[in-house]
Amino acid sequence: MTRSRPSWPRQLRALLLKDLRLELRTRDTLAAMVLFAVVAMMIFQFAFGGRGQNLSAVSGGILWATLALTAVLGVGRSWVPEREQRVLDGLLVTPVPRDLLLVARAGAIYVYLLIVEVVAVPLVTIFFVRGQEPGDVLLIGVVCLLANLGISILGSLLACLALFARARELLLPVLFLPSLLPVVIAASGATQAVSGGTNDLAEYRGYCLFLGVYAVIFGLVAYATYEHVFDD
Amino acid sequence: MKRFGERRAVDRVDIALAPGECLAVLGPNGAGKSTLLRMVATLLRPDAGSLSICGEALPRGARRARAGIGYLGHDPLVYLDLTPRQNLELYADLYGLSDARERIDAGLDRVGLRARSFDPVRTFSRGMAQRLGLARALLHDPELLLLDEPYAGLDAAGARLLDGVLGDLGATRGAVMVTHEVERGVSLAGRVMVLRAGRVVLQEPTAGSGGAAFRTRYEELVA
Repeated sequence: MTRSRPSWPRQLRALLLKDLRLELRTRDTLAAMVLFAVVAMMIFQFAFGGRGQNLSAVSGGILWATLALTAVLGVGRSWVPEREQRVLDGLLVTPVPRDLLLVARAGAIYVYLLIVEVVAVPLVTIFFVRGQEPGDVLLIGVVCLLANLGISILGSLLACLALFARARELLLPVLFLPSLLPVVIAASGATQAVSGGTNDLAEYRGYCLFLGVYAVIFGLVAYATYEHVFDD
Repeated sequence: MKRFGERRAVDRVDIALAPGECLAVLGPNGAGKSTLLRMVATLLRPDAGSLSICGEALPRGARRARAGIGYLGHDPLVYLDLTPRQNLELYADLYGLSDARERIDAGLDRVGLRARSFDPVRTFSRGMAQRLGLARALLHDPELLLLDEPYAGLDAAGARLLDGVLGDLGATRGAVMVTHEVERGVSLAGRVMVLRAGRVVLQEPTAGSGGAAFRTRYEELVA
């Protein structure tokens, strides 16, 4: 029997759609991520902002520390249905390329992070930044788009690695958070460079470039290792 | 050959399955039956030896081989929070089926779940979920059906359905069934293989042998 090769865009769309359908039905991951980000922001607000100081200088750090911790939560929840409902074998026995499973998972994490950022960026502006201009928020949006790339690629790869580990709940944050440090530093720097009316665009561009390079590097690492992740 | 640590889970096993043939793999717990089946399903990579599935040499042709494999394990391998239709749509897309809608409708009809096709699988009994698993495994009309204790979770209707599938494989489909049910395995399969400690201790056609008569031999072989 001759079989046509399934097209990868259709497979990718199906995998993404499946994740979004599961999320819409269960509301397990996204709701927890948004709630966590809001609570973390409030804790930062109570801890630092109680005396009415202008915290614009640290707002980028607060935003990206919050988003990094929120990403750990989201990445930790990824592959939970496959693990708990034992569906992974079903996916692995289909002709879907292994790298597409990673890409689809990264895509889902990317979308979740974007939704969290839609809430978190305005909150950080309200709580911590004085004199923010609408254009600054757009520039911060670009930082989010770039930083999410690296976070979601790395998160997807590490979540797959941790999937087969015994102490995965411990292993994942221990591996993920230190690896995220460069993203947190660069994204905080880029956010800082355009927050509160300080438009240092040269510094902003440098940090954005770094975020792009980081995403490319971890994209290559994922590409080089994905086949072994699902082996046995 | 497949090794886990020092232990050889599967060793010197040689299978050639012709189209239309059903092979029943029997053996006690830990004999290597599921490991063997997972290697054939491309879910485990052998440490030594060669595998060729649906005309594709592994691991190079694994992706093409997977397009021809239908796998049903102990679990139905479906998402419990999706509906049967959503699950089958997902698999139809992953297999690249052009006539997905018709196949899904036919599959749901076949396993008697058309009326529940918009309910989450979480609300199903174990038997119903396993019937959906059977519809999933057959959705893309596989050339090779791999079944790991397929009757374990099936209700009576599902078991009859699977009996019918295995009894009428047609000229192009082969099947390998791992089972503890000696009588059923012998009565449905054209050939039987008995594994013990990862090695083949018997492989022969079942023609003419009754399941009950075979059980005595089987128990002697695996003792």
